[in-house]
Amino acid sequence: MTQPLLKTHELVKDYVIGGETVHAVNNVSLSIARGEFVAIMGASGSGKSTFMNMIGCLDVPTSGTLLLDGTDTKLLSSDELADIRNQKIGFVFQQFNLLARTSALDNVAVPLIYAGLGYAERRARAKAKLEALGLGERLENTPAKLSGGQQQRVAIARALVTDPLMLLADEPTGALDTQTSLDIMSIFQGLNDDGITMVVVTHEPDIAEYAARRIVFRDGIVIEDEAVKSRRRAAVQ
Amino acid sequence: MSRFLNPIADWGVNVAIAMTALRTNLMRSILTTLGVMIGVFSVILAVAVGNGAQVSVTQQIATLGSNMAIVVPEPDNGDGPPRPAERGRLTERDAKAVERQVPGVNAVAPQIRNGVQVATAGRSVSTLAIGATPAYGIVSNITASEGRFLTDSDVSSAARVAVIGETVANRIFPEGIAVGQTMRINRVPFVVIGILEGKGSNLGNDNDDQIIVPISTLRQRLSTAAAQGPDDIQLMFVGFDDEEALTAGQKEIKSLLRARYRVAKGSVNPFTVRTTTEIAEATGTVTQIFQAVLVAIASISLLVGGIGIMNIMLVSVTERTREIGLRMALGAKRRDIRNQFLVEAAVLCIIGGAMGLTLALLAAFAFQSIADFPAPIGWDTALMSVAFSAVIGLVFGGYPAIRASRLSPIEALRSE
Repeated sequence: MTQPLLKTHELVKDYVIGGETVHAVNNVSLSIARGEFVAIMGASGSGKSTFMNMIGCLDVPTSGTLLLDGTDTKLLSSDELADIRNQKIGFVFQQFNLLARTSALDNVAVPLIYAGLGYAERRARAKAKLEALGLGERLENTPAKLSGGQQQRVAIARALVTDPLMLLADEPTGALDTQTSLDIMSIFQGLNDDGITMVVVTHEPDIAEYAARRIVFRDGIVIEDEAVKSRRRAAVQ
Repeated sequence: MSRFLNPIADWGVNVAIAMTALRTNLMRSILTTLGVMIGVFSVILAVAVGNGAQVSVTQQIATLGSNMAIVVPEPDNGDGPPRPAERGRLTERDAKAVERQVPGVNAVAPQIRNGVQVATAGRSVSTLAIGATPAYGIVSNITASEGRFLTDSDVSSAARVAVIGETVANRIFPEGIAVGQTMRINRVPFVVIGILEGKGSNLGNDNDDQIIVPISTLRQRLSTAAAQGPDDIQLMFVGFDDEEALTAGQKEIKSLLRARYRVAKGSVNPFTVRTTTEIAEATGTVTQIFQAVLVAIASISLLVGGIGIMNIMLVSVTERTREIGLRMALGAKRRDIRNQFLVEAAVLCIIGGAMGLTLALLAAFAFQSIADFPAPIGWDTALMSVAFSAVIGLVFGGYPAIRASRLSPIEALRSE
């Protein structure tokens, strides 16, 4: 574990809005090791989401370097970035982003289409992940027939289905009630215990306390980066 | 990677995604498909009608007979309009001279034609009377299906006999038995000696709506304003042994008639000689132009259908920008997104194309059975139309699909 999973060096993302350049992320250098559980905090507009989008290879930096699993992402084509998103990163979104009118099973199987797996293999793997997340009875349900917590668990199953190194969750509990939020955080802690690197973007301090390390953004720079002192453990289900 | 080994599964997935998307906006999909359907329908039908016209013309020319020259007493102005003032003459003696002196001729059939009224007790029809000789049967391949055709003695005795077409027979002898019966042609009684073998109709022209009488009888009994002298004829068919003889014979007929009428060097011939080959070529060109024009007009509706596809695909891409962003986040490459939308457009077009083809087959069938107009749709036309609609999908779905694939993942994901 000498090499960090993720390392940024003077990472910058600029936006030009109305002729003025805004530094959404301004010279951020940090690294995240394998197996860490990191919470990224900050007010809206602090640059935390922009940072997450860049480390998720959804957005490209204006300058600076980003090493992901030892690879400089600047050197990669859009197809290669797509492969990294597919193979190494799992995304969990605030609004779940499930495909409507599509069963839980088919939703979870989507990344495997792009991984090039055949139909039977896709279904078998998706089914296994859904069962592992306690949704074995809901395989054929469409999102409209699932509760918010269930939908987010389907989304987590989808993020995990390619066995990625890292899970990136953008306000994963933002649309959920307190109890369901705790359930989700407990799932994340369990996954982290199994070795998956977790990065959770949140503006809720309580949620951040489930992480082991807290990074706080303000105006595009990191103003705080420290271990969480009194870490919470969600009740094991 | 394994995905290259599995292209069919890939397309299968895209078809499944497309079907879900198309079902989601069912009404819109149906309307878009309708546009393609109408386009494909009209193009296929245009091709079929054009083919039908060609078939009809070929049949029509075949009913004239083959390896035949037609001589009419009209000045040969090339393609210019006929000038009645210079109307030439043609006589039975000319016909005999052609028969004797032009090599390769197997029969010469002089004719006078006249519109007549044919009547039995209580029934009356107007039809075309052809005053002919037995040679007409040889050059034009005409036989009697019942009774007999004209004979030389019918002509020499100016017998009041007629061989009648099926259409005429059915109208004035609805009981069925015609041969041996008497009918009146312009009030002159004639005996029906035969029924012409049916030649059907093409392009609305009924080949069985005519009667044939001896040329001498027509001249004497049925007044013909068209013939000037006692020996004048309106046209003659000259049958040749083969195509080679026909080509040479056309020139021979011209020089023979020029000599007979003492046409000065450089003057226009007072007669025109056309061969069946020339007629076939000329009408073939006309029907080809006719078909091209039809197809061109029909193509406009296919173009409109294609534009409808493009329009709806652009809307679909805009509506599903977030889905595109999500798929990219989950690992879709640009080509995956592009293919997804291409397949969606192609599915729309192929469904529309299949429906258009079905409709065209029905319409062609209706044409054939109701209007008696052949509109053949071959396998080639059918395959072409399906391929064509797929191409329409790829061409008009191409731009929206490429636009979708060029979206930035994060901007697509953020869109509402």
